[in-house]
Amino acid sequence: MHLWAFLLSALRSVTSGDRRYHLWMGSLTAIMLVGGYAYLVQANEGLIVTGMNNHVSWGLYISNMAFLVGVAAAAVILVMPAYVLHDVDFSRAVLIAEGVAVSALVMCLGFVMANSPGYPWKWWRLTPVIGLLNWPDSMLAWDVIMLNGYLVLNLAIPFYILYSHFVGREPSKKKYVPLIYVSVIWAVSIHLVTAFLFAGLPARPFWNSALLGPRFLASAFTAGPAFMILLLGFIGSQSRYAIPQVAIQKLATATTVAAQVNLVMLFSELVYEFYMPTHHGISARYLFFGLGEHHALVPWIRAGIFLNVAATLTLMIHPLRHNQRVLMVACATLFVGIWVEKGIGLVIPGFVPSPLGEIVEYTPTWVELCVTAGIWALGLFVLTILVRVALPIELGEVRSPYLEQETGTRIVRPRATRARYEDIRVRIR
Amino acid sequence: MSADRPVDLPEILDGTLLQKPVDRRDALGLLLGGVAASVAAVGACAPLNAATPEERELKLLEWEEFTQKHYRRMTEEERAETIARLERLAKLRHNEDCTIATTDAQPGVLFGYAFNVSKCKGYRRCVEACINENNLDRHQDTQYIRIFEMENGVVNLEEADPTYQHEVPAEGHFYLGTQCFQCANPPCVPVCPVGATWQEPDGIVVIDYNWCVGCRACMAACPYWARRFNWSAPEVPPEEVNPNQHYLGNRDRKKGCVEKCTFCIHRTRQGRLPACAEACPTGARVFGNLLDPNSEIRWVLAHKQVFRLKEELATEPRFWYFSD
Amino acid sequence: MRRAPRATTAICLVAVAWLTSGCQRDYVRWDQPPPGTAVLQIDSATAASNAILEPGVLATVQAVPVKRWKGPGNQPFDVALRSATPEAGHSRVFGSITLPIALRSRAAALSQYPCTSCHQGRKVVMANQRISDAHNNIKPVHPDQTGAVCSTCHSADDVELLALKSGERATLDESYRLCAQCHFEQAEAWAGGGHGKRLDGWEGRRVVMACADCHDPHNPAVQTRIPFRAPQLERTGGYHP
Repeated sequence: MHLWAFLLSALRSVTSGDRRYHLWMGSLTAIMLVGGYAYLVQANEGLIVTGMNNHVSWGLYISNMAFLVGVAAAAVILVMPAYVLHDVDFSRAVLIAEGVAVSALVMCLGFVMANSPGYPWKWWRLTPVIGLLNWPDSMLAWDVIMLNGYLVLNLAIPFYILYSHFVGREPSKKKYVPLIYVSVIWAVSIHLVTAFLFAGLPARPFWNSALLGPRFLASAFTAGPAFMILLLGFIGSQSRYAIPQVAIQKLATATTVAAQVNLVMLFSELVYEFYMPTHHGISARYLFFGLGEHHALVPWIRAGIFLNVAATLTLMIHPLRHNQRVLMVACATLFVGIWVEKGIGLVIPGFVPSPLGEIVEYTPTWVELCVTAGIWALGLFVLTILVRVALPIELGEVRSPYLEQETGTRIVRPRATRARYEDIRVRIR
Repeated sequence: MSADRPVDLPEILDGTLLQKPVDRRDALGLLLGGVAASVAAVGACAPLNAATPEERELKLLEWEEFTQKHYRRMTEEERAETIARLERLAKLRHNEDCTIATTDAQPGVLFGYAFNVSKCKGYRRCVEACINENNLDRHQDTQYIRIFEMENGVVNLEEADPTYQHEVPAEGHFYLGTQCFQCANPPCVPVCPVGATWQEPDGIVVIDYNWCVGCRACMAACPYWARRFNWSAPEVPPEEVNPNQHYLGNRDRKKGCVEKCTFCIHRTRQGRLPACAEACPTGARVFGNLLDPNSEIRWVLAHKQVFRLKEELATEPRFWYFSD
Repeated sequence: MRRAPRATTAICLVAVAWLTSGCQRDYVRWDQPPPGTAVLQIDSATAASNAILEPGVLATVQAVPVKRWKGPGNQPFDVALRSATPEAGHSRVFGSITLPIALRSRAAALSQYPCTSCHQGRKVVMANQRISDAHNNIKPVHPDQTGAVCSTCHSADDVELLALKSGERATLDESYRLCAQCHFEQAEAWAGGGHGKRLDGWEGRRVVMACADCHDPHNPAVQTRIPFRAPQLERTGGYHP
């Protein structure tokens, strides 16, 4: 009965808000519908409507997926200090981080489905007994297990904590802390496994290096916390759920360090590819300098690196990092820069040139752009819902109505109509 | 809450337009109403048509096709059932009368292929025969075989030209063809998350097209660019369809699955040469059983200086190149 | 810390041990079937009896055993004879198209066969220089290159036979015996399987083509031709509703 009340109150939290909120959710829904239409187009016609071809067989979808797995993994930056190191400053932010992880994972799964469309339920063939899951051979099979497991973990732990708070009791550390430890290791693993998906292919020398896994982690721990800082700043300014400034600063420090490591790895990659170039480095030459008249990615990667370097340098300067506005801009820049570098700057050059030396470039079509936009909208939609559910509970503003029967306290339930979000009060008599 | 607001200033000007509370019930009602309206609109444009008996049968067969097991887990009866269903589906979908075989690998047979770089003159007869033999998609111009025109003295595939369209052989050039090499250590097989591709005992790497989910990890993993994807539903003119098919080979494929050269599994398991080897006018292609010490392929391996592509990747392709 | 981390560490160690123990994939050589499959040695004779040839594969081809050469493994093999319909033995159906599979279009080159259609008796006086109105369809590229004249290869006392250096005579279907006199390397490769075409399947009776079936003996070099269409590298895909 508490559970039912939890779900109902969650629904209430999600559907009540001011015009700005409904406009936001409405726009996201509109974008999702456009994306859905584009998905139907590609499900009906086949992927020929995208810019992918037999040479560049993975494109915008897998690029986004690789990037978002990193964002999902980065929740560990908050989870670890909050639960394992008992850093109280992070305790308010950690639930939001897990929400980000969930929405990023939902996006990842969305992109995987968009990458091989048709009837989505064909993925039954991946299930172990009735289908065939090629584990432990296939890295993708590992990835399936890791992503879904991480999704379950990041749904289960916050749900347990929120539900416990909702029914007015403290969540039992014995129950969730072991899962936290598992999720910390799991978070690092999901991103390593996704990196191994690429790095484990000797056919693609651009990816086939030992550094790819660490690079993935470094860029994940840059982009994820950067997004978190933006989100936490937004939440702090729009609601009463304030995150202590010291937590934001710790996050910013973590982001900066990760960004620096990412740049060092990029530098290492550049030296490796260009000091004494071999045929193995031809994809890198295509990416950074172009090959003959094929140079579509060069402006992208140069812009991406410029954004990364500029943002990292900015964040390295102490007073600038402490300036809220500069921090936000730098984080947004870093997020975009990492997306360029790790998304399209990683997946596409792996296919150019093909293993037999043929060069076919890649340009996403409107179908891919719409589906991508739709999936990002879906992720933001899910994130908004999760934050919208979590915040009132964590602020102590929403509790199970059945509590008064159990504990003898009287709680005034917020009225369904005409209630402004800020006006919800809990009075205990 | 609005007591302090000036009475006659419209909301749009005093900045509270977006902060105006929205009645949740209204919002939900609007949402559901909108959904209902759009469903009605879409429904009006796409009437559900009453199914004819063929269409009902087609739908039922497609459902069975969708839920069929992995080929390797099927019993003999299930295989026979699957074949009957696929032949019937080909008839219903394309009005095609075909025979789909499920011939297993012959014991004691391991296929090997040798390509004579001196003899290939770049005619692409092999490509033409392959397209016709394997019912390859004409719309996307799927070609399993690639012939590269290379300059004498340069053995760099990146500088080779596969798109030549002039009289061949051209002076100062030689020709080298690639296709799936049916590697002994295939890098494409372990990466498949659903196990839709595997290596048969006679060495051919095959794909169960109905099990493939189309993730294209195998395409990323192949170092020889041997695999093709059906980006759209394959189209073969009905008069050009090859009706002698094999379940793991040249049968009707659908969009969304990967395919590749299977050494003409429908021919080679019947003792015939693959179409490319048989079509080559210059005899540049040698095919046979590696386990038979008296085969032509073994003679070539014993008496000619052979090389393979990307040997350092340890894929152990069963496709060698040699010259006169 | 407390109890939970110890348990988690134990579980992790066990998992790592289990994962690393069974995960090696055997390195397979090219001459081994995939792991887990049985290896039986089978020879050509058994393979021939196992062969399930489609009817009609060799029906259009008549063949005789090759003299004096043995195939791989010292196995005898057959060479195709000229047939009444030379195209039939030299083209195959692939899918729905028929492709000629020999290099040389035989019909035109054999337009003057049999010799006795002009030469009433078999014996002919062969001049060392070409008579102006004799066999003008033949371009003597190879004779000019090698300094040969007609009688170098063709027997003067029987125009339908070839003259070998040893003094023996070979039929026109045994062109390999003549060509092998100089092109012994190619003849070795031809007998072994690295040169020339095999007309049947990979198992079963080995029937190959003789030299003159692919190479015009008077102009043996491979001629140029226009190839089948090139692949499209840039795909013009996209959706245009």
